[in-house]
Amino acid sequence: LFRNVVGGKTLTAADLDGPLKGMEDHLLKKNVAREAAVRLCETLQQDLVGTKTSNFTSIETTIRAAMDRALRKMLTPTTPLDLLHEIAATKGKRPYVISIVGVNGVGKSTNLSKICFFLLQNKLRVLIAAGDTFRSGAVEQLRVHVRNLQELTARQDAGAVDIYERGYGKDAAHIARDAVTYAASNNFDVVLIDTAGRRHNDSRLMSSLEKFAKLANPDKILMVGEALVGTDSVSQARNFDAAFGPGRRLDGFIISKCDTVGDMVGTLVSMVHATGIPVLFLGTGQHYNDLRVLRPETVVELLMRP
Amino acid sequence: MVLLDLGRRINAAVNDLTRPGSSLDEKAFEVMVKEICNALMEADVNIKLVSNLRKSIKKTVNFEDMASGTNKKRLIQKAVFDELVKLVDPHAEPFKPKKGRPNVIMFVGLQGAGKTTTCTKLARWYNARGFRSCLVCADTFRAGAFDQLKQNATKAKIPYYGSLTQTDPVQVAREGVEKFKKERFDIIIVDTSGRHRQEQDLFDEMVQIQNAVEPDETIMVLDASIGQSAESQARAFKDAAHFGAIIITKTDGAASGGGAISAVAATHTPIVFIGTGEHMLDLERFAPQPFISKLLGMGDMAGLVEH
Ligand SMILES: Nc1nc2c(ncn2[C@@H]2O[C@H](COP(=O)(O)OP(=O)(O)OP(=O)(O)O)[C@@H](O)[C@H]2O)c(=O)[nH]1
Ligand SMILES: Nc1nc2c(ncn2[C@@H]2O[C@H](COP(=O)(O)OP(=O)(O)OP(=O)(O)O)[C@@H](O)[C@H]2O)c(=O)[nH]1
Ligand SMILES: [Mg+2]
Ligand SMILES: [Mg+2]
Repeated sequence: LFRNVVGGKTLTAADLDGPLKGMEDHLLKKNVAREAAVRLCETLQQDLVGTKTSNFTSIETTIRAAMDRALRKMLTPTTPLDLLHEIAATKGKRPYVISIVGVNGVGKSTNLSKICFFLLQNKLRVLIAAGDTFRSGAVEQLRVHVRNLQELTARQDAGAVDIYERGYGKDAAHIARDAVTYAASNNFDVVLIDTAGRRHNDSRLMSSLEKFAKLANPDKILMVGEALVGTDSVSQARNFDAAFGPGRRLDGFIISKCDTVGDMVGTLVSMVHATGIPVLFLGTGQHYNDLRVLRPETVVELLMRP
Repeated sequence: MVLLDLGRRINAAVNDLTRPGSSLDEKAFEVMVKEICNALMEADVNIKLVSNLRKSIKKTVNFEDMASGTNKKRLIQKAVFDELVKLVDPHAEPFKPKKGRPNVIMFVGLQGAGKTTTCTKLARWYNARGFRSCLVCADTFRAGAFDQLKQNATKAKIPYYGSLTQTDPVQVAREGVEKFKKERFDIIIVDTSGRHRQEQDLFDEMVQIQNAVEPDETIMVLDASIGQSAESQARAFKDAAHFGAIIITKTDGAASGGGAISAVAATHTPIVFIGTGEHMLDLERFAPQPFISKLLGMGDMAGLVEH
């Protein structure tokens, strides 16, 4: 019964090897990319070698507690972002601009609409810019969302929303810039810019993001990462973070489709590990109110769950 | 392309071990097995599958029992090869449509996997091969779904059916398929909304659509970048919709596709096509055997393929 309970033992690398391998496998099963899982376990090893375990505490328990702390620390942003607060600061002076980027089909347009709903409930005037001028139905998709949101807001005495679109085929960067100008002269508080999905290994589409960031000059560039994605999430995050030119990085992640993965929420860890960029929101469904702010303790609980 | 980098890495590991002059002992063998497993895990192959594969290889290549003089190199290569084939080749034959009668094909899958894009690609593919093909949009949920299908179909000159006002996907699917059957189309492809196993209502809806259109084939569309959730989602779709084929999309991306491959292994269902881009023509046929040959062609395992 007390076989593993070592209490008061000074830990050596050899003591830790086996249990840490178990922890690594555990993280892999939770869909944490191997690179991130290995790095996390290495750091734990460095921190734990030479320390003494507490009384009646097994090595496994010690490792779990240390991993719990490491994950919490990693997922807790150093400077918490309060979007509403920031928007309030520019309100009346100029529109606050948020653009949404990410690979194909991850949930950019849907989560943009959810953010819009959140802003509307806070009585803001929002302009949605249809910056995906490539994918069939992308403009109509946003038009439907805007119509739905207009109906909802009319009922709830909330803010106001409209769409800025120029159809298909045009350059997204110019549409984004024009939308911001339009918003400024029409008293919008916020502009939400949708963009086309792009593969992070497509250098042509990725390089156009630099010009986009220059012309639209967003206050926040948010990337949607999908909870279903495996190892690829690491390079998705890195390549998007590096795409906006010198001096411009991503400001945050939205992790979508969290409702589809149960406790396998490792993508979150992979993307934050790769970039140090914080997660702002979680997408938890296909409806307008399925958007949550990240609570690190909840996510860590899911990750550590056996 | 999907899994090719993985193939390269596995080949390198085997070659390292079996290179003339390198010591072919148990320790080196362990290192090779470990490297192969790491490569598989980084490619998103299901962790349990990887661990089974590790056991299988070790069991087949039993160093202690191996008679001296046996061709160890050949044994090792064969063991690795066999396990890889098992991953992608379920030995199940996909449905083959016949001309001159309606063949109904229904698409299912997770949200954003690439169903709508791929169903137009497939309709176009069959059209180019002399099948009269058409599309039915049974996604009444996603904003702009019908517009998306309509615009794709128009570009590809494929007849389509859908509704902007009807909210019941079962009804639209039934009407669309009936209409096109009357018009004697060969291939009728039914697009459905994205769904996931955690929402029972969505799965029930899928089964209702299936009962209404009685498809000859149901195809599950999987994104090449999917990770460890692939297996449980694919199993749930298999149990509910009994899909008989898989299409992996977005293989032009950087992901290795091991998650989607794990779904093949978990559901014993063959991959029939892969999507290689956002455009109409970006669709390739997939067959396990040529794929494995290609994978192996890069190393010196090619000689092992038994003809
Ligand atoms: N279950 C679930 N589905 C989601 C979530 N977010 C988005 N989706 C679904 O994912 C699918 C794709 O969403 P979109 O918003 O169109 O994705 P996108 O990134 O804009 O796609 P492209 O513009 O084609 O690159 C839709 O079916 C959405 O309803 C989420 O948090 N949970
Ligand atoms: N790069 C690349 N993109 C693809 C491929 N197939 C689909 N896409 C893109 O993936 C995104 C989602 O595709 P859809 O066809 O809308 O996916 P869906 O499964 O119908 O989505 P829902 O109906 O919302 O569940 C779009 O941006 C497509 O252009 C592919 O093979 N390669
Ligand atoms: Mg979109
Ligand atoms: Mg669709």
